[in-house]
Amino acid sequence: MSHLIASQKVIQHYLSALLTEDEPLASQETALAETKKAELNRLLAQAAPVENVVAAPVQTGVVQPVAKPKVAPVVTETAAPVAAPVLRERAIPIAERLAVTPPPQLKVEKAYRQGSFQALFFSVAGLRIAVPLTELGGIHELGPINNLPGKADWFKGIMLHRAQKIQLVDTARWVMPEKYTATLATELNYQYVIMLGTSNWGLCCELLIDTINLEPEQIKWREQEGKRPWMAGLIKEQKCVLVDVDELVKLLNQGLDVNA
Amino acid sequence: MSNKFSGQADKNQAADLVLQWVTFRLQEETYGINVMQVQEVLRYTEIAPVPGSPDYVLGIINLRGNVVTVIDTRARFGLPPAEVSDNTRIVIIEAEKQVIGILVDSVAEVVYLKQSEIDNAPNVGTDESARFIQGVANREGELLILVDLNKMLNDEEWDEISSI
Repeated sequence: MSHLIASQKVIQHYLSALLTEDEPLASQETALAETKKAELNRLLAQAAPVENVVAAPVQTGVVQPVAKPKVAPVVTETAAPVAAPVLRERAIPIAERLAVTPPPQLKVEKAYRQGSFQALFFSVAGLRIAVPLTELGGIHELGPINNLPGKADWFKGIMLHRAQKIQLVDTARWVMPEKYTATLATELNYQYVIMLGTSNWGLCCELLIDTINLEPEQIKWREQEGKRPWMAGLIKEQKCVLVDVDELVKLLNQGLDVNA
Repeated sequence: MSNKFSGQADKNQAADLVLQWVTFRLQEETYGINVMQVQEVLRYTEIAPVPGSPDYVLGIINLRGNVVTVIDTRARFGLPPAEVSDNTRIVIIEAEKQVIGILVDSVAEVVYLKQSEIDNAPNVGTDESARFIQGVANREGELLILVDLNKMLNDEEWDEISSI
Protein backbone atom coordinates (compact mmCIF):
# COMPACT_ATOMS: atom_id res chain seq x y z
CA MET A 1 0.00 0.00 0.00
CA SER A 2 2.77 2.35 0.90
CA HIS A 3 4.36 1.51 -2.43
CA LEU A 4 1.16 2.50 -4.18
CA ILE A 5 1.00 5.85 -2.37
CA ALA A 6 4.67 6.49 -3.00
CA SER A 7 4.36 5.76 -6.68
CA GLN A 8 1.35 8.05 -6.94
CA LYS A 9 3.36 10.84 -5.37
CA VAL A 10 6.12 10.29 -7.84
CA ILE A 11 3.64 10.35 -10.70
CA GLN A 12 2.30 13.67 -9.38
CA HIS A 13 5.79 15.07 -9.23
CA TYR A 14 6.46 13.94 -12.74
CA LEU A 15 3.24 15.40 -14.09
CA SER A 16 3.72 18.69 -12.31
CA ALA A 17 7.22 18.88 -13.75
CA LEU A 18 5.79 18.48 -17.23
CA LEU A 19 3.29 21.24 -16.61
CA THR A 20 5.75 23.65 -15.04
CA GLU A 21 6.24 27.00 -16.80
CA ASP A 22 9.46 27.52 -18.72
CA GLU A 23 12.30 28.49 -16.46
CA PRO A 24 15.95 28.73 -17.26
CA LEU A 25 16.36 25.16 -18.42
CA ALA A 26 19.53 24.45 -16.51
CA SER A 27 18.24 25.43 -13.07
CA GLN A 28 14.90 23.79 -13.61
CA GLU A 29 16.39 20.56 -14.73
CA THR A 30 19.02 20.60 -12.02
CA ALA A 31 16.47 21.12 -9.26
CA LEU A 32 14.14 18.57 -10.73
CA ALA A 33 16.90 16.05 -11.25
CA GLU A 34 17.95 16.42 -7.65
CA THR A 35 14.42 16.03 -6.36
CA LYS A 36 13.83 13.01 -8.51
CA LYS A 37 17.08 11.49 -7.50
CA ALA A 38 16.33 11.89 -3.82
CA GLU A 39 12.87 10.48 -4.29
CA LEU A 40 14.24 7.63 -6.34
CA ASN A 41 16.81 6.73 -3.75
CA ARG A 42 14.21 6.75 -1.01
CA LEU A 43 11.87 4.54 -2.95
CA LEU A 44 14.58 2.17 -4.05
CA ALA A 45 15.57 1.73 -0.45
CA GLN A 46 12.03 0.68 0.38
CA ALA A 47 11.38 -1.38 -2.69
CA ALA A 48 12.12 -5.08 -3.08
CA PRO A 49 14.77 -6.02 -5.64
CA VAL A 50 13.47 -5.60 -9.14
CA GLU A 51 14.31 -7.84 -12.04
CA ASN A 52 13.69 -7.22 -15.69
CA VAL A 53 11.56 -4.25 -14.89
CA VAL A 54 12.93 -2.36 -17.83
CA ALA A 55 11.08 -4.71 -20.13
CA ALA A 56 7.88 -4.88 -18.07
CA PRO A 57 4.72 -4.11 -20.03
CA VAL A 58 2.64 -1.04 -19.29
CA GLN A 59 -0.39 -1.64 -17.07
CA THR A 60 -3.28 0.59 -16.02
CA GLY A 61 -2.42 4.01 -14.76
CA VAL A 62 0.51 4.27 -17.13
CA VAL A 63 1.91 7.60 -18.06
CA GLN A 64 2.96 7.74 -21.64
CA PRO A 65 6.51 8.89 -22.13
CA VAL A 66 6.89 12.40 -23.36
CA ALA A 67 9.62 13.42 -25.77
CA LYS A 68 11.36 15.76 -23.38
CA PRO A 69 14.94 14.59 -23.44
CA LYS A 70 16.32 15.92 -20.18
CA VAL A 71 13.52 15.57 -17.67
CA ALA A 72 13.96 12.59 -15.37
CA PRO A 73 11.45 9.80 -15.88
CA VAL A 74 9.40 8.26 -13.08
CA VAL A 75 10.73 5.50 -10.94
CA THR A 76 9.91 1.94 -11.80
CA GLU A 77 7.76 0.03 -9.36
CA THR A 78 8.53 -3.50 -8.22
CA ALA A 79 6.52 -6.39 -9.63
CA ALA A 80 4.64 -7.17 -6.40
CA PRO A 81 1.72 -9.62 -6.14
CA VAL A 82 -0.63 -6.67 -5.61
CA ALA A 83 -1.68 -5.10 -8.89
CA ALA A 84 0.39 -1.98 -8.42
CA PRO A 85 0.76 0.09 -11.56
CA VAL A 86 4.01 -0.50 -13.40
CA LEU A 87 5.20 2.35 -15.48
CA ARG A 88 6.84 2.06 -18.81
CA GLU A 89 10.50 2.82 -18.59
CA ARG A 90 12.43 4.78 -21.07
CA ALA A 91 15.18 3.09 -23.01
CA ILE A 92 17.86 4.36 -20.62
CA PRO A 93 17.66 3.34 -16.91
CA ILE A 94 16.56 6.13 -14.60
CA ALA A 95 19.64 6.37 -12.41
CA GLU A 96 21.81 6.56 -15.49
CA ARG A 97 19.72 9.34 -16.99
CA LEU A 98 19.88 11.28 -13.75
CA ALA A 99 23.62 10.80 -13.59
CA VAL A 100 24.09 11.92 -17.20
CA THR A 101 22.84 15.46 -16.57
CA PRO A 102 25.79 17.35 -15.17
CA PRO A 103 25.27 20.54 -13.19
CA PRO A 104 26.65 23.26 -15.42
CA GLN A 105 27.73 25.57 -12.61
CA LEU A 106 30.67 25.22 -10.26
CA LYS A 107 29.92 23.18 -7.18
CA VAL A 108 31.21 25.63 -4.61
CA GLU A 109 30.63 29.35 -4.90
CA LYS A 110 33.67 31.17 -3.62
CA ALA A 111 33.05 33.98 -1.17
CA TYR A 112 35.27 36.37 -3.11
CA ARG A 113 32.98 36.04 -6.14
CA GLN A 114 30.20 37.79 -4.27
CA GLY A 115 31.73 41.19 -3.84
CA SER A 116 34.93 43.18 -4.00
CA PHE A 117 38.07 41.50 -2.74
CA GLN A 118 41.78 42.06 -2.62
CA ALA A 119 44.24 40.01 -4.60
CA LEU A 120 47.99 39.69 -4.38
CA PHE A 121 49.78 39.96 -7.71
CA PHE A 122 53.15 38.32 -8.18
CA SER A 123 55.30 37.46 -11.14
CA VAL A 124 57.13 34.39 -12.33
CA ALA A 125 59.30 34.49 -15.44
CA GLY A 126 57.46 37.56 -16.62
CA LEU A 127 54.05 35.99 -16.10
CA ARG A 128 51.72 37.74 -13.68
CA ILE A 129 49.54 35.65 -11.38
CA ALA A 130 47.03 36.76 -8.77
CA VAL A 131 45.79 35.07 -5.62
CA PRO A 132 42.79 36.23 -3.56
CA LEU A 133 44.12 37.59 -0.30
CA THR A 134 41.56 35.61 1.68
CA GLU A 135 43.09 32.42 0.30
CA LEU A 136 46.67 33.41 0.89
CA GLY A 137 48.31 31.39 3.62
CA GLY A 138 51.32 33.62 3.93
CA ILE A 139 54.42 34.85 2.18
CA HIS A 140 57.90 33.67 3.07
CA GLU A 141 61.32 34.44 1.80
CA LEU A 142 62.73 31.49 -0.03
CA GLY A 143 65.22 29.66 2.14
CA PRO A 144 67.27 26.47 1.90
CA ILE A 145 65.54 23.79 -0.11
CA ASN A 146 65.72 20.09 0.62
CA ASN A 147 65.46 17.97 -2.50
CA LEU A 148 63.48 14.77 -2.48
CA PRO A 149 64.55 12.20 -5.06
CA GLY A 150 62.14 10.87 -7.63
CA LYS A 151 59.62 13.65 -7.47
CA ALA A 152 58.02 15.50 -10.37
CA ASP A 153 60.13 18.10 -12.19
CA TRP A 154 57.93 20.91 -10.95
CA PHE A 155 58.43 19.87 -7.34
CA LYS A 156 61.34 21.93 -6.11
CA GLY A 157 61.64 20.31 -2.70
CA ILE A 158 60.83 20.99 0.89
CA MET A 159 61.68 24.13 2.78
CA LEU A 160 61.61 24.06 6.55
CA HIS A 161 59.99 27.10 8.06
CA ARG A 162 59.70 26.87 11.84
CA ALA A 163 57.56 23.79 12.40
CA GLN A 164 56.24 23.65 8.88
CA LYS A 165 57.53 21.60 5.98
CA ILE A 166 56.66 23.71 2.97
CA GLN A 167 56.31 21.82 -0.27
CA LEU A 168 57.68 24.08 -2.97
CA VAL A 169 56.32 24.34 -6.48
CA ASP A 170 58.52 25.51 -9.32
CA THR A 171 55.73 27.79 -10.48
CA ALA A 172 57.16 28.55 -13.92
CA ARG A 173 57.58 24.86 -14.59
CA TRP A 174 54.14 23.98 -13.32
CA VAL A 175 52.23 26.73 -15.07
CA MET A 176 54.05 26.77 -18.40
CA PRO A 177 56.01 23.57 -18.82
CA GLU A 178 56.16 24.00 -22.60
CA LYS A 179 58.13 27.23 -22.20
CA TYR A 180 60.41 25.95 -19.48
CA THR A 181 63.81 25.75 -21.11
CA ALA A 182 67.26 25.27 -19.68
CA THR A 183 67.87 28.97 -20.29
CA LEU A 184 64.77 29.93 -18.37
CA ALA A 185 65.78 27.64 -15.53
CA THR A 186 69.08 29.45 -15.13
CA GLU A 187 67.47 32.87 -15.41
CA LEU A 188 64.77 32.27 -12.82
CA ASN A 189 65.43 34.02 -9.55
CA TYR A 190 62.87 32.77 -7.07
CA GLN A 191 62.83 34.88 -3.95
CA TYR A 192 59.50 34.32 -2.24
CA VAL A 193 57.06 31.55 -1.45
CA ILE A 194 53.33 32.19 -1.73
CA MET A 195 51.54 29.82 0.64
CA LEU A 196 48.31 28.32 -0.66
CA GLY A 197 45.60 28.56 1.96
CA THR A 198 46.15 26.31 4.94
CA SER A 199 48.02 23.70 2.91
CA ASN A 200 51.73 23.00 3.01
CA TRP A 201 52.06 23.97 -0.65
CA GLY A 202 53.93 27.10 -1.61
CA LEU A 203 54.33 28.66 -5.03
CA CYS A 204 57.78 30.02 -5.71
CA CYS A 205 57.76 33.50 -7.17
CA GLU A 206 60.30 36.03 -8.30
CA LEU A 207 58.62 39.31 -7.53
CA LEU A 208 55.75 40.52 -5.41
CA ILE A 209 53.98 43.18 -7.43
CA ASP A 210 51.04 44.66 -5.59
CA THR A 211 47.81 44.07 -3.74
CA ILE A 212 44.82 45.39 -5.67
CA ASN A 213 41.16 45.63 -4.79
CA LEU A 214 39.04 43.92 -7.45
CA GLU A 215 35.35 43.93 -8.27
CA PRO A 216 33.67 40.76 -9.56
CA GLU A 217 32.90 42.41 -12.88
CA GLN A 218 36.59 43.03 -13.47
CA ILE A 219 37.09 39.31 -13.80
CA LYS A 220 36.07 36.92 -16.50
CA TRP A 221 35.09 34.06 -14.24
CA ARG A 222 35.50 30.43 -15.18
CA GLU A 223 31.92 29.28 -15.35
CA GLN A 224 32.18 25.64 -16.11
CA GLU A 225 34.11 22.78 -14.64
CA GLY A 226 36.55 21.03 -16.87
CA LYS A 227 39.83 22.35 -18.14
CA ARG A 228 42.11 24.49 -16.02
CA PRO A 229 40.26 24.05 -12.72
CA TRP A 230 43.09 25.87 -10.96
CA MET A 231 42.04 29.10 -12.68
CA ALA A 232 39.27 30.99 -10.92
CA GLY A 233 39.19 33.41 -13.83
CA LEU A 234 41.06 35.99 -15.84
CA ILE A 235 41.53 39.52 -14.55
CA LYS A 236 40.59 41.66 -17.51
CA GLU A 237 42.59 44.80 -16.99
CA GLN A 238 45.77 43.18 -15.83
CA LYS A 239 45.29 40.28 -18.26
CA CYS A 240 46.43 37.75 -15.77
CA VAL A 241 45.21 34.58 -14.10
CA LEU A 242 43.37 34.57 -10.80
CA VAL A 243 44.19 31.31 -9.05
CA ASP A 244 41.53 29.05 -7.52
CA VAL A 245 43.61 28.02 -4.54
CA ASP A 246 41.47 25.07 -3.43
CA GLU A 247 41.49 23.52 -6.87
CA LEU A 248 45.20 24.10 -7.27
CA VAL A 249 45.90 22.43 -3.95
CA LYS A 250 43.79 19.45 -5.02
CA LEU A 251 45.85 19.07 -8.18
CA LEU A 252 49.12 19.37 -6.31
CA ASN A 253 48.03 16.83 -3.70
CA GLN A 254 47.38 14.42 -6.53
CA GLY A 255 50.78 15.13 -8.03
CA LEU A 256 49.21 16.59 -11.16
CA ASP A 257 50.47 19.47 -13.23
CA VAL A 258 48.76 22.06 -15.40
CA ASN A 259 48.23 19.54 -18.17
CA ALA A 260 46.18 17.23 -15.98
CA MET B 1 40.85 3.07 38.74
CA SER B 2 44.63 3.43 38.68
CA ASN B 3 44.86 0.40 36.42
CA LYS B 4 42.43 2.00 34.00
CA PHE B 5 44.45 5.22 33.79
CA SER B 6 47.83 3.50 33.50
CA GLY B 7 46.40 1.32 30.75
CA GLN B 8 45.34 4.42 28.86
CA ALA B 9 48.77 5.98 29.27
CA ASP B 10 50.39 2.82 27.93
CA LYS B 11 48.13 2.95 24.92
CA ASN B 12 49.04 6.54 24.26
CA GLN B 13 52.72 5.78 24.50
CA ALA B 14 52.41 2.75 22.28
CA ALA B 15 50.62 4.85 19.71
CA ASP B 16 53.64 7.18 19.41
CA LEU B 17 56.50 4.76 18.98
CA VAL B 18 60.02 6.07 19.15
CA LEU B 19 62.17 4.68 16.40
CA GLN B 20 65.87 4.89 15.86
CA TRP B 21 67.29 5.89 12.53
CA VAL B 22 70.81 5.75 11.21
CA THR B 23 71.39 8.88 9.20
CA PHE B 24 73.64 9.29 6.20
CA ARG B 25 74.34 12.03 3.70
CA LEU B 26 73.96 12.04 -0.06
CA GLN B 27 74.26 15.16 -2.18
CA GLU B 28 73.87 17.43 0.86
CA GLU B 29 70.65 15.77 1.96
CA THR B 30 70.28 13.70 5.08
CA TYR B 31 68.57 10.35 4.87
CA GLY B 32 67.52 7.99 7.62
CA ILE B 33 67.23 4.22 7.66
CA ASN B 34 65.84 1.93 10.33
CA VAL B 35 68.60 1.07 12.78
CA MET B 36 67.32 -2.48 13.08
CA GLN B 37 68.27 -3.08 9.46
CA VAL B 38 71.82 -1.79 9.79
CA GLN B 39 74.43 -4.45 10.48
CA GLU B 40 77.57 -2.38 10.29
CA VAL B 41 79.23 0.61 8.69
CA LEU B 42 82.49 0.16 6.79
CA ARG B 43 85.04 2.59 5.53
CA TYR B 44 85.24 2.69 1.79
CA THR B 45 87.02 -0.29 0.38
CA GLU B 46 87.68 -1.35 -3.15
CA ILE B 47 84.53 -2.55 -4.86
CA ALA B 48 85.06 -5.13 -7.58
CA PRO B 49 82.71 -4.59 -10.51
CA VAL B 50 80.68 -7.57 -11.70
CA PRO B 51 80.29 -7.73 -15.48
CA GLY B 52 76.72 -7.99 -16.63
CA SER B 53 75.31 -6.74 -13.37
CA PRO B 54 72.54 -4.10 -13.34
CA ASP B 55 73.62 -0.47 -13.57
CA TYR B 56 72.59 0.24 -9.97
CA VAL B 57 75.11 -2.35 -8.73
CA LEU B 58 78.58 -0.98 -8.13
CA GLY B 59 80.08 -4.39 -7.55
CA ILE B 60 81.00 -6.69 -4.69
CA ILE B 61 83.18 -6.61 -1.61
CA ASN B 62 84.57 -9.35 0.54
CA LEU B 63 83.27 -9.04 4.09
CA ARG B 64 84.98 -11.57 6.33
CA GLY B 65 84.78 -14.20 3.66
CA ASN B 66 81.31 -13.32 2.49
CA VAL B 67 80.48 -11.69 -0.82
CA VAL B 68 78.36 -8.60 -0.35
CA THR B 69 76.82 -6.74 -3.26
CA VAL B 70 77.16 -2.97 -3.07
CA ILE B 71 74.41 -0.75 -4.50
CA ASP B 72 75.06 2.63 -6.08
CA THR B 73 72.72 4.64 -3.86
CA ARG B 74 73.26 7.86 -5.79
CA ALA B 75 72.18 6.20 -9.00
CA ARG B 76 69.21 4.69 -7.22
CA PHE B 77 68.18 8.11 -5.99
CA GLY B 78 68.66 9.71 -9.38
CA LEU B 79 71.65 11.73 -8.21
CA PRO B 80 74.80 12.39 -10.21
CA PRO B 81 77.89 10.34 -9.34
CA ALA B 82 80.43 11.76 -6.92
CA GLU B 83 84.05 11.23 -6.09
CA VAL B 84 84.92 8.97 -3.22
CA SER B 85 86.21 10.86 -0.17
CA ASP B 86 87.53 10.07 3.27
CA ASN B 87 83.96 10.27 4.55
CA THR B 88 82.54 7.79 2.07
CA ARG B 89 81.09 4.75 3.76
CA ILE B 90 79.54 1.42 2.88
CA VAL B 91 76.57 0.70 5.10
CA ILE B 92 75.83 -3.01 5.39
CA ILE B 93 72.11 -3.53 5.69
CA GLU B 94 69.68 -6.40 5.76
CA ALA B 95 66.55 -6.06 3.68
CA GLU B 96 64.23 -8.57 2.02
CA LYS B 97 66.27 -11.34 3.63
CA GLN B 98 69.43 -10.25 1.89
CA VAL B 99 72.56 -8.54 3.14
CA ILE B 100 73.78 -5.81 0.84
CA GLY B 101 75.90 -2.71 1.06
CA ILE B 102 74.85 0.82 0.13
CA LEU B 103 77.45 3.42 -0.73
CA VAL B 104 76.89 6.80 0.93
CA ASP B 105 78.75 10.11 1.10
CA SER B 106 79.00 9.93 4.87
CA VAL B 107 77.29 8.48 7.89
CA ALA B 108 76.14 10.92 10.54
CA GLU B 109 74.47 9.72 13.71
CA VAL B 110 71.65 7.68 15.14
CA VAL B 111 68.59 9.78 15.82
CA TYR B 112 65.43 9.09 17.78
CA LEU B 113 62.14 10.01 16.16
CA LYS B 114 58.62 9.62 17.43
CA GLN B 115 56.08 8.32 14.97
CA SER B 116 54.18 11.59 15.37
CA GLU B 117 57.21 13.52 14.18
CA ILE B 118 57.20 11.75 10.83
CA ASP B 119 55.14 13.20 7.99
CA ASN B 120 54.29 11.57 4.71
CA ALA B 121 56.30 12.73 1.75
CA PRO B 122 54.26 14.58 -0.89
CA ASN B 123 52.75 12.21 -3.38
CA VAL B 124 54.16 13.73 -6.53
CA GLY B 125 56.08 12.07 -9.31
CA THR B 126 55.87 8.52 -10.54
CA ASP B 127 59.57 7.92 -10.64
CA GLU B 128 60.65 4.49 -9.51
CA SER B 129 62.94 6.02 -6.94
CA ALA B 130 60.09 7.80 -5.21
CA ARG B 131 58.51 4.66 -3.82
CA PHE B 132 61.05 4.08 -1.09
CA ILE B 133 60.71 7.45 0.56
CA GLN B 134 58.86 6.51 3.69
CA GLY B 135 58.41 9.97 5.12
CA VAL B 136 60.10 13.17 6.23
CA ALA B 137 60.88 14.64 9.60
CA ASN B 138 62.17 17.92 10.93
CA ARG B 139 65.15 17.19 13.10
CA GLU B 140 66.52 20.30 14.82
CA GLY B 141 65.87 22.47 11.82
CA GLU B 142 67.14 19.96 9.33
CA LEU B 143 64.98 17.84 7.08
CA LEU B 144 65.44 14.12 7.45
CA ILE B 145 64.27 11.96 4.54
CA LEU B 146 63.35 8.50 5.77
CA VAL B 147 63.99 5.58 3.48
CA ASP B 148 62.23 2.22 3.41
CA LEU B 149 65.11 -0.05 2.50
CA ASN B 150 62.84 -2.92 1.54
CA LYS B 151 61.47 -0.80 -1.27
CA MET B 152 64.81 0.38 -2.60
CA LEU B 153 64.57 -2.44 -5.07
CA ASN B 154 61.52 -4.12 -6.54
CA ASP B 155 61.00 -7.87 -6.31
CA GLU B 156 62.68 -8.53 -9.63
CA GLU B 157 65.68 -6.49 -8.65
CA TRP B 158 66.00 -8.23 -5.30
CA ASP B 159 65.98 -11.55 -7.15
CA GLU B 160 68.62 -10.28 -9.53
CA ILE B 161 70.82 -9.13 -6.65
CA SER B 162 70.56 -12.48 -4.96
CA SER B 163 71.96 -14.22 -8.02
CA ILE B 164 75.11 -12.11 -8.21
